[in-house]
Amino acid sequence: MTRKTDPLVYSSIREAILVTGIWLAAAIWSISVCYTMGYHRATDDLKLVLGFPDWVFWGIVIPWSTCTVVSIVFGLIFVRDGDLGKDIEDADDLGLGG
Amino acid sequence: MNALTQFVTASNILAADAAAPPSVGWGAMTMLILFIAGSMCIGVFANMTTQKGGFMKGFFLGNRGLGAWALALTATIQSGGTFMGFPSLVYSHGWIVALWIGSYMVVPITGFGILGKRLAQLSRRTGAITVPDLFRTRFNSPALGFTCTLFILLYLSFMMFAQFKAGAIVIQLAWPNGGELSLSEDAVSVSETRYHIGLIVFAVTVVGYTLMGGFLAAVWTDLFQSLLMFVGVVILLVASLNAAGGLENATRVSVANTGPGFATGPGFIADGSSHEFLPLSLAISFFVVWIWGGVGAPAGLVRLMASQNTSVIRRSIYLLSIYNMGIYLPLIVICVCGRALIPSLDGKTDQIIPRMAIMTTSHWPGGSFVAGLILAAPFGAVMATVSSYLVVLSSGVVRDIYQRFIAPNADRNQLRRAAWGTMIVAGLISVAVSWYPVTYLQAFIVFSTSGAAATFLVPALMACYWRRATTAGIFASMISGAMTVLVLYLIGILNLLPHQAIGAATGFRPWYLWGFDPLIWGILVSGTSGILISLMTMPMDEELISRMFDEQPEAP
Repeated sequence: MTRKTDPLVYSSIREAILVTGIWLAAAIWSISVCYTMGYHRATDDLKLVLGFPDWVFWGIVIPWSTCTVVSIVFGLIFVRDGDLGKDIEDADDLGLGG
Repeated sequence: MNALTQFVTASNILAADAAAPPSVGWGAMTMLILFIAGSMCIGVFANMTTQKGGFMKGFFLGNRGLGAWALALTATIQSGGTFMGFPSLVYSHGWIVALWIGSYMVVPITGFGILGKRLAQLSRRTGAITVPDLFRTRFNSPALGFTCTLFILLYLSFMMFAQFKAGAIVIQLAWPNGGELSLSEDAVSVSETRYHIGLIVFAVTVVGYTLMGGFLAAVWTDLFQSLLMFVGVVILLVASLNAAGGLENATRVSVANTGPGFATGPGFIADGSSHEFLPLSLAISFFVVWIWGGVGAPAGLVRLMASQNTSVIRRSIYLLSIYNMGIYLPLIVICVCGRALIPSLDGKTDQIIPRMAIMTTSHWPGGSFVAGLILAAPFGAVMATVSSYLVVLSSGVVRDIYQRFIAPNADRNQLRRAAWGTMIVAGLISVAVSWYPVTYLQAFIVFSTSGAAATFLVPALMACYWRRATTAGIFASMISGAMTVLVLYLIGILNLLPHQAIGAATGFRPWYLWGFDPLIWGILVSGTSGILISLMTMPMDEELISRMFDEQPEAP
């Protein structure tokens, strides 16, 4: 008999793909901004924003704040709850793999 | 005149202030003793809670009852490195370490969002208590489970060694009126004695409460210290900014104390050589290392397996996001202030946070107690990390070696004795290895993180999401990933190829193939071999796969 794939497997895959995209976007933003604005730069023209070097502010502080907001929205709205299933009763035995 | 040089005078004033070693009163030690006593109470309480049900699931997995706060604040990678190794790098190399650690902005969402729900489901379907348990049952292979156990023992041992050193240093620095902040030669032998006493006290404490309460003791202490850490960091942030005259001043003075590289990439190098701390290739690497290293870390996988339900995992994402934002950026700011206030630490850069805690509060009424509160945070972080590693190590030995190969019918008391014996032996070995401490704590942590992730990340993803994955494919993926990282580290440590002037300056460093961290290569090799070998071998039994992936009929 052919069974249907558990819906939790599908929702997990969908969320994992989206999370990987968010990680990639954050990496591209941070690394490119920090590298272009902050590497091999003369300190004479270095500007400070709220005490942070400007490349740290735009390349780390801002994306970090953005990612925090995105994570909150992701956790509150996007992630779908599901049934994790029942656990085995007595785990002092060797379980299903014993 | 260069805008930076006008702050040199201010720098000299602050440096002169820092040079006089402040007295560490009884408050710091009192707070640490209170913290130790609190942890012991948690151990006793956890012990009572785990009496219900079977020993294995209670002691090693907390009866799968973790709530959102416990999961959020304990499942990821705060450790001794957070308060010792990482601050040491900021102090040594400057603002560039913000990019080095920058990927932590997505750690909460990746740590729970990539494997969380599916791993929690799979662990219930397999009845797994440990990570090797899960692989053994998912692929119906005892040999695969045993291989996982060996890898976990190897990597977690490395992590433990680093943590013991950090714990001992905190007690050493909190010694009442011990003048440990003095960098004079006379202090060295006394200092060593206190380090050794600190090491023993730390080991007895952490092994003691973990013996009593197992997984729950580790988790609850972790939660307790995480909240304490947050409070400690906030207080220290305010104290540091106040002492340094604001962040802008701290940045300018620290640049004046060091050089232009402190505020620009690829980072400040003290000896003025052409060494680059964080070239572009390593900046990219660390966005991979911290994220995928966290996703594939065995101790983190176990916490996910212990989560109560999917709602807990979901809430953990935003709780940890807010928490991380309040910890890591402030720590960087504190260490930049530290470089402004203490121009040189004479090779003891691991001590910047404890020194800042003691120094910036020394003039406050009851400052010693406030310093103690701040010092208790790193101490707690280290204790919680060691505790969780002890549980994972012990579960590996008891579940995957003792119960499977030596005493399959062991009763509750026998299992408990085996768990205790393993933890005591692991503690003794860690004390012996940490007796003469290694420099640069972070290098050990990076090695273990890279190695564990290269071994477990791709296999965990394949186990969770790919029906066509086979036992042979998982074996290939694990071994090839681990060997890639190991070989690249051995080439670097044994100096088999010409020295590369990049990365942290330590003898314990890998060979960066084309400038990238070994984990990148480890994941690539692990993924390629896992997929190819799976496709070249016979598919797994369809009934087994269906039990892991498909909707299950309701029990009658």
